[in-house]
Amino acid sequence: MTTNHRARRWALSGAGLTLALTLTACGGNVGGGSDSEEEFPGGDPITMLVGQDPGGSTDLIARAAADGLSDELGVPVTVENRPGANGALAAQQLAGEDPDGHTLMVYNGSLAYITPLAVGEGEAPDIADFDIVTGLSLDDYVLVTAPGSGFGTVEDLAAAGRPITFGTTGVGTGSQLSQELLFAQADIDATAVPFDGGSPTLTAVLGGQVDVGSVQLGEAIEQIESGGLTPIVTFAEERPSYLPDTPTAVEAGYDVPVQQSRAVFAPQGVPDDVMQTLRDGFEAAFETEAYQQLNEDNLLTPLEVDGEEIRERWTENLDNYRAVVEEYGIDLGGDA
Amino acid sequence: MDLAPVLDGFAVVLEPTNLLYCLIGVVVGMLVGVLPGLGPAATIAILLPITIGIEPVTAIIMLAGIFYGAQYGGTITSVLLKLPGEASSVVTVFDGYAMARQGRAGTALGIAAIGSFAGGTISIVALSFLAPLVASFALDFGPPEYTALALLGILLVATVSSGSRLKAVVAACVGLLLATVGRDGFTATERFTFGNLNLADGLDFVPIAMGLFGLGEILYNLEQRHNATQAPTKVANVWPSRQDLRQSSGAIGRGSVIGFLLGILPGGGATLSSLAAYAVEKRRSKTPERFGKGAVEGVAGPETANNAAATSSFIPLLTLGIPANATMAVIFGALLVVGVTPGPQLVTEEPELFWGVVNSMYIGNILLLIMSIPLVGLFVKILRVRPAILAPITVLITLIGVYTVNNSVFDIVLVIVFGVLGYLMKKAGFDPGPLLLAFVLGALLEDGLRRSLLIFDGDATGFFTRPISGTLLVVFLLVAVYPFVATLRSRRRQEPAQDTSDPNTKELV
Repeated sequence: MTTNHRARRWALSGAGLTLALTLTACGGNVGGGSDSEEEFPGGDPITMLVGQDPGGSTDLIARAAADGLSDELGVPVTVENRPGANGALAAQQLAGEDPDGHTLMVYNGSLAYITPLAVGEGEAPDIADFDIVTGLSLDDYVLVTAPGSGFGTVEDLAAAGRPITFGTTGVGTGSQLSQELLFAQADIDATAVPFDGGSPTLTAVLGGQVDVGSVQLGEAIEQIESGGLTPIVTFAEERPSYLPDTPTAVEAGYDVPVQQSRAVFAPQGVPDDVMQTLRDGFEAAFETEAYQQLNEDNLLTPLEVDGEEIRERWTENLDNYRAVVEEYGIDLGGDA
Repeated sequence: MDLAPVLDGFAVVLEPTNLLYCLIGVVVGMLVGVLPGLGPAATIAILLPITIGIEPVTAIIMLAGIFYGAQYGGTITSVLLKLPGEASSVVTVFDGYAMARQGRAGTALGIAAIGSFAGGTISIVALSFLAPLVASFALDFGPPEYTALALLGILLVATVSSGSRLKAVVAACVGLLLATVGRDGFTATERFTFGNLNLADGLDFVPIAMGLFGLGEILYNLEQRHNATQAPTKVANVWPSRQDLRQSSGAIGRGSVIGFLLGILPGGGATLSSLAAYAVEKRRSKTPERFGKGAVEGVAGPETANNAAATSSFIPLLTLGIPANATMAVIFGALLVVGVTPGPQLVTEEPELFWGVVNSMYIGNILLLIMSIPLVGLFVKILRVRPAILAPITVLITLIGVYTVNNSVFDIVLVIVFGVLGYLMKKAGFDPGPLLLAFVLGALLEDGLRRSLLIFDGDATGFFTRPISGTLLVVFLLVAVYPFVATLRSRRRQEPAQDTSDPNTKELV
């Protein structure tokens, strides 16, 4: 009988251990530093949805902003990752929540102004269905090639005398749009080869599997600085401070500014006073050293503008891109 | 070879947290190895979600520990109860149980532990030299090479696996079909999503693995009545005699080599290599009639080989991002969950993770040797835990766990659907392993093929003009043709086909 008991205790402690480990996996600022009563409209915690996996840039930005916001408003702010469909799943969830300011989402610009060009009607959410709290930052795309390719400028690519291949980080991304627009305008015969994210795209460029690729600056900067990759152009409107010697595509004579942009969204109908409190909270969060350090570490250019300005910019982007894509007969979905 | 990253790897392992998780991993592995029913793939699948909160290297150290720990644990029940705790310990039953009946259970366990330790350690050393070599070709691995590798992998999964070949092919085909679900990565066209955004990115690997292996296996085991009530043989005198050691040293050496080589092959792994090692020992022996009646080499060979294979099957995963067997496919999923993409860049970009995990296996094997010899009695007692207690707890952990990965209720539904599928498959004699592997490799194959054709501008001869993909495709053809040649030859010799499949085989590892 004693052995039986002991065996059972073993099994139970094993299960307990697993459960304990599962619980420690949930983290965040819950329970810490929020002992004050009722600050933000009600003491309930705020949930910040992220439509991407943990660990990516969007997730890191959300977590840094959440920490600052939590300190300012005195309520816990938890980040909840709901990856899928370029963030459309998280947006869908956000749209179904109460507009009481307790559910927010870090929304990627690409979902608003690039994805709709690639996927079918109604598969991408419409930003008109949301309230926008504040802008966050801009992330730049850079066109890179391996030093051994012999390419250094857009002219080199045009003079290659053969069709070139370009790696993209996926269909419906800024990486794809930026290059499609550039090569269409420069009249370069080029084939898109979509990869699954930034890292495989870079590997393909480094290994010479594709001639060039466009990735987010933060992903390529180390290789660029060490000479492992040659930057050709950035797709920013102005030269990003992090890469001052590389021309923009606009300077090179092509009208293709494509940037990733991020903003905080809320379900439609958040009361004005709640919205104001949130905006003040974010403004304070942006001032924190931790948040500014994050921008610097990830080569992000702050764009902490009013929500309505974001709406204007993004809508304008969508209209512009749609017009150019139609003009040049580019099909982001279709036969890539 | 630059030794600095290897030494840094040891520094990573020796961090107290990592040591602790290594210990947890091997203890859990040993436990599930002893418990007939729950295998390492199932356990790792169930524990996938807890990896989110911890450092990637720590998480993988623990999961790897479960895998090779189970190889040690599986021996115990094979020898004492004639119940293989693991598929890879099935052949150990033949001589191990015979030895136990002769009162030499201790010797069998001792030799198995020493063989496992030797096989594991030799394999780690070989892995340390081979993996960076493979990785140095990393940048030459483009889409055409991945296409060829995936093709070879799927073929091997279907042909090399133990059990019914036809059923393995059917399961693999279902896996390939499941891999097509989701928004097409090249044209953004929806495929089999039925307008459901949850399916836009395809079926997620984690709930499938947790369902097929975790839930499916629990359900299946509840139905099985394991007759574990018989009192385990008393274990005494675990230290093998000098004569036993001398007798089995050759088997241990050969088992290490066989295990290492077969472990690398996609579709190979621990089970296949233990079968091969047993066959080799029997064929080489001057007294083959002793086999099945308590030959110590019949325990030493397979037990060494399965552990060597368990270690070497990490090579294709960590260097190429290609899982060689079902358990590796689950660890592949674990790497993705912690944000690491396994592939050629891993050794150079994440040396701490790579060498941390590899070097943790030395420590893990030492811990397992300690647990296997002096503490073996403790693990024998685990056999008394009733499934009626264990099963509901595991199901609950599985369902809570899968929700925490993506905060998605849809994933819980998926786990249940695939759990039922896994249960039905096992009941009908289908191994879910090929399904899961083909699911992983299918996505690689399709993407690789389409990318290659874009790069080649539609000219398929490009696959044969590149040295690596060309070689791989030649190997593919050889493997595809070999079974026919082998059948013809054996028919000519009129040798009866040796049936090595066993009804107790729980999973293909």
